[in-house]
Amino acid sequence: MPFAQQNESIARTRAPAKVATLLGLPPPLSYLSPLMTAPAAFSEPLVRIRGLTTVLNGKTIFDTLDLDIPRGKVTAIMGPSGTGKTTLLKHITGQMRGDAGQVAVDGKNVAELSREKLFELREKIGYLFQNSALLTDFDVFENVAFPLRQHTKLPEVLIRNIVLTKLQAVGLRGAAGLMPAELSGGMARRVALARAIVFDPMLILYDEPFVGLDPIALSQVLKLIRTLNETLGITSVLVAHELDAIKQVADLVYLIANGKVVAQGDPKTIASDGSPWTRQFFGGDIDGPVPFQYPAGDYAQALGLAGAEG
Amino acid sequence: MSAQPQRNVITHALAQIGEAGLFLLTLLAAVPRSMKHARETVRQLWFVGAMSLTIIMVCGLFVGMVLGLQLYYVLSIFGGTAASGTVVAIAIYRELGPVVTALLFAGRAGTSITAEIGLMRATDQLAAMEMMAVDPIAYVAVPRYLAGLIAMPLLCAVFCALGIFGGHLVGVSWLGIDNGTFWSNMTATVDVWKDVVNGILVKSLAFGAVVSLIAVYQGYTTPPTSEGVAYATTRTVVASSIAILALDFVLTAFLM
Repeated sequence: MPFAQQNESIARTRAPAKVATLLGLPPPLSYLSPLMTAPAAFSEPLVRIRGLTTVLNGKTIFDTLDLDIPRGKVTAIMGPSGTGKTTLLKHITGQMRGDAGQVAVDGKNVAELSREKLFELREKIGYLFQNSALLTDFDVFENVAFPLRQHTKLPEVLIRNIVLTKLQAVGLRGAAGLMPAELSGGMARRVALARAIVFDPMLILYDEPFVGLDPIALSQVLKLIRTLNETLGITSVLVAHELDAIKQVADLVYLIANGKVVAQGDPKTIASDGSPWTRQFFGGDIDGPVPFQYPAGDYAQALGLAGAEG
Repeated sequence: MSAQPQRNVITHALAQIGEAGLFLLTLLAAVPRSMKHARETVRQLWFVGAMSLTIIMVCGLFVGMVLGLQLYYVLSIFGGTAASGTVVAIAIYRELGPVVTALLFAGRAGTSITAEIGLMRATDQLAAMEMMAVDPIAYVAVPRYLAGLIAMPLLCAVFCALGIFGGHLVGVSWLGIDNGTFWSNMTATVDVWKDVVNGILVKSLAFGAVVSLIAVYQGYTTPPTSEGVAYATTRTVVASSIAILALDFVLTAFLM
């Protein structure tokens, strides 16, 4: 491979920053220079959602939703089950498009991007799937190496080092040779996390990253998310239900219900902001603005007891 | 009452054929992009081609042996057992080779392609590829389609060779037809272009194109549930079998 091409590939994966992270050093200045020379652009939110309206199978998922994901911060998105948190991540990545409104990532309207441009954008986004979505034909090492092999021409030795670094970060370097079927749910999630961060993307979307993790792995994953954010300035979006974990890692929390943002703020204080939404959600109350029951007809009638009283 | 008009069986089948046709255009458009995944195509060629060899070889051998037996019985009535080799070869090259290979391929490789892609969809692997900016059509669908297309004529050639060997085994080694007569009658009558090329190359390529398309299309569009994958796998076998036999009639009529 020509040296210039190799050099470009290395630069593309931000290898210097990776090496610095690996050695526990601050990231190289050359890597941070865009941050320093263009402060105005970086004050803009990385993801800007305006008036997003989405109706799926007759059900309104988002109703003129407005939401900003600030650059370089860890933002948590919380809300009752079925409220559209994962769907929101799919809108951000262009997997789904809303019926109205706009989702802009890094200043680009996702819905208007061509397939090529959308793929270019996705190369800068890491995504942790709820069910890990590991490629079952490949072992753990190859799963993590997959994005590198597809998008770079890095020499094998560098790919190996990057993959082992990421696996070490999630505590699974020793599992590099295992197949996905041999992993527990928590281990598979950590492998998927290693794959999501293998490019050190500008934005990482974590869909339920804490499910199935034991306390040790949870603590490591929290530390990893925070380290990625603080050392490399990566913007993170977490969809999760674990408020205690979110308090440790997030800078900002959005609570979504009924298709809108019903509360937002500091994760340490949002639970006590006094709104009925936060009181019910964080207090775990059945009674409140969020119905526990999925919309249904009359219960007595469904049980065949209608008219029994009369 | 549903707002969408209910499709009856015929309109549903026609709609599926139309959708499969559009899917074929998507596949063909993705072929240049899939060139960088040539290793994946080779890997799939191993799975659908090399791994199907055993069933193709065993079935080819038995089909040839049965054909040898039946023909010996019929031809002996007219005292024409010397033509046994010729008829075995023509029947296998022109019909049984390509048709039975395609039917076996649909059952062995077609179902595995459908089930594999269907499960990849059900477990979000295709979505994960999309999210890693890897086009699943170019990386998953096209390599499997091309592998089926390439493997079918090769498997058909192996089937034909084993079939004729089976016919020889029964006719010459067991029932005592003269070895020289068996081969000389066959080589004098069988035409390389009309029989061998039309059967092994033309028919097999056509069957390979159709069976692979059905298998990949069914897998790619299956609902992401265990029941959806099960139905898609069944549909691959049913649709492939009908398509092979119908297409065989059309091709035979044109290639006569």
